[in-house]
Amino acid sequence: MAASVRHLLKPWTPSLCLMRWSRYNPYYLDPDPSKDARVPESELSPEEKELQELKTVSPIKAALSSDTSSAFNDPLISKFINMMMHDGNKILARGIMTQTLETIKRKQVEKYHKSPAAKREEIECNPYTVFHQALENCKPIIGLASVQKGGKSYQVPVPLTDNRRRFLAMKWLITECRDNKHRRTHMYEKLSQELLAAFTNEGNVVKRKHDLHKMAEANRAYAHYRWW
Amino acid sequence: SRPPSHNIVPTSLILCATYHSEGHSGQYYTLPPTHIQKLFPYGLPPRFQLQIKTFNEGCVMVRPPALELISYLKRADYSKPPLRYVLYGDIGTGKTMSLCHALHYCYSQGWLIVHVPDAHLWVKNCKELLPSSSRPSRFDQPIQASQWLKNFKITNERFLSKLKTTQRYVWTKRESTEKGQPLGELIDQGVNRMKSSSDVVGAVLRELRLQAGGATEGEGAFKLAVAVDGVNALWGKTSLKKEDRTMCEPEELTLIHNLRKMMKNNWSGGAILTALSQTGSVFKPRSAYLPSELLGEEGFDNMEPFVPVSVSNYNEKEFESCYLYYLDRNWLQHPHSRSEEGKKELIFLSNKNPSILERLCAFL
Repeated sequence: MAASVRHLLKPWTPSLCLMRWSRYNPYYLDPDPSKDARVPESELSPEEKELQELKTVSPIKAALSSDTSSAFNDPLISKFINMMMHDGNKILARGIMTQTLETIKRKQVEKYHKSPAAKREEIECNPYTVFHQALENCKPIIGLASVQKGGKSYQVPVPLTDNRRRFLAMKWLITECRDNKHRRTHMYEKLSQELLAAFTNEGNVVKRKHDLHKMAEANRAYAHYRWW
Repeated sequence: SRPPSHNIVPTSLILCATYHSEGHSGQYYTLPPTHIQKLFPYGLPPRFQLQIKTFNEGCVMVRPPALELISYLKRADYSKPPLRYVLYGDIGTGKTMSLCHALHYCYSQGWLIVHVPDAHLWVKNCKELLPSSSRPSRFDQPIQASQWLKNFKITNERFLSKLKTTQRYVWTKRESTEKGQPLGELIDQGVNRMKSSSDVVGAVLRELRLQAGGATEGEGAFKLAVAVDGVNALWGKTSLKKEDRTMCEPEELTLIHNLRKMMKNNWSGGAILTALSQTGSVFKPRSAYLPSELLGEEGFDNMEPFVPVSVSNYNEKEFESCYLYYLDRNWLQHPHSRSEEGKKELIFLSNKNPSILERLCAFL
């Protein structure tokens, strides 16, 4: 009986990381694969010195096999590849991603070489900037949540966290390409068309974002139903 | 030509292929668009065709294997039987591109070109395999044969009216080509009547063999360049099946049989340029790249004696040139790939293999 009482008296700390399938203890630090040059001791502020010491002492989680220390590693692209992945087939998902980037670059570079010198600077040839910008253009600013009040459920406009916005943008892109395009085109072709359209704020995904914004605007009367 | 944008290795030079020499090794030269349309309707590797479309120009790097081949072609004696040149090397090192470079040299010298872009396509994935109309135990491939005849017509238009047939060919009870008809008619016969197109290919090759070394001067003189990519397909196995579900031998296919006759050096007045290829081959392991491994015993005995030309990965200077070419054409977009460390990473990842480097730079 004394043992169970003692268990109730000590402060509660979570014994596992509060992430979906993570079995790590919370004091494990995340790995940082980037090859940042080691800044000498004198240039660090006291908090940063503490952080450095913590890194040398505390245990670090194992790195994912998809993280690289090379500067070509892009966390947004990795996240998109993970979302496209089906049945754990990362090789196929990564292949589709690289083919998409190649197709975007080919279309833009072809346009670049065929256009006169005056218009060349406006054409964006870097597929990574096109991807980042397109994703930004697809992110919704405000979302809708279903709130039940008085037996009826209302769609209430609600602010979204950054992670949720990024997730929604990527999810919409992928479902749009999977469902609404011609059956016989390859995924990388469909994705490249959709990304290039989103880069110039055209296309079905941006339209879906605008529809969501309009619904939120229409339902602004219910905004006070939100209590969080 | 464009103003040179880099001072280390000048990138593009519009040179006639006759003037290429060792000093130009590592530099790029532009293939004129008219030549690409005529000479290479299907001859270039698919990724290179995409590159031509993207950059709006076709630039080929001048490399030692191609230079070696061209120097042999310049010095050979064309009254003697043709020399066989075999380009061999690991996957992705540039055998097909070197072959195309040498072929462009031949074309600019006014030779007649017989180009089989990939012999592997004739021994696998054939939708229609008809029993031959002329011989009992042979099989025809009408689609492949008529496609090849169309490409041959595009490449060698100016020779078609000059050359005449030397014997009478009978195709069916009602169709025949008389002696003395221009070669163009023979080819039209093959293109229009698909059933006899494989036999027409055989007849065309026979005519060219007979007439290549014929007239040494005057109107009828021409040199014949036979270029076959993936020559190991002629003596390997096929993946085609006959109607009774047994495997087809390459000997039983009309096209292969006629091409093998072309590979023998019992004619004169030309050259035989070939390249081995593992990538399209049937039933060959990926690590095989030497002539003895890919050609097999039968093929090696048939091809011998040949002049082997080895093709390898880029050296430092060639890699540098390729890197600068991509930078010049605005192809390397990732900011890290334009730095020194990124370049070292590219060298490490690709091991200076031309095709792997091209695929890496495609998405960076």
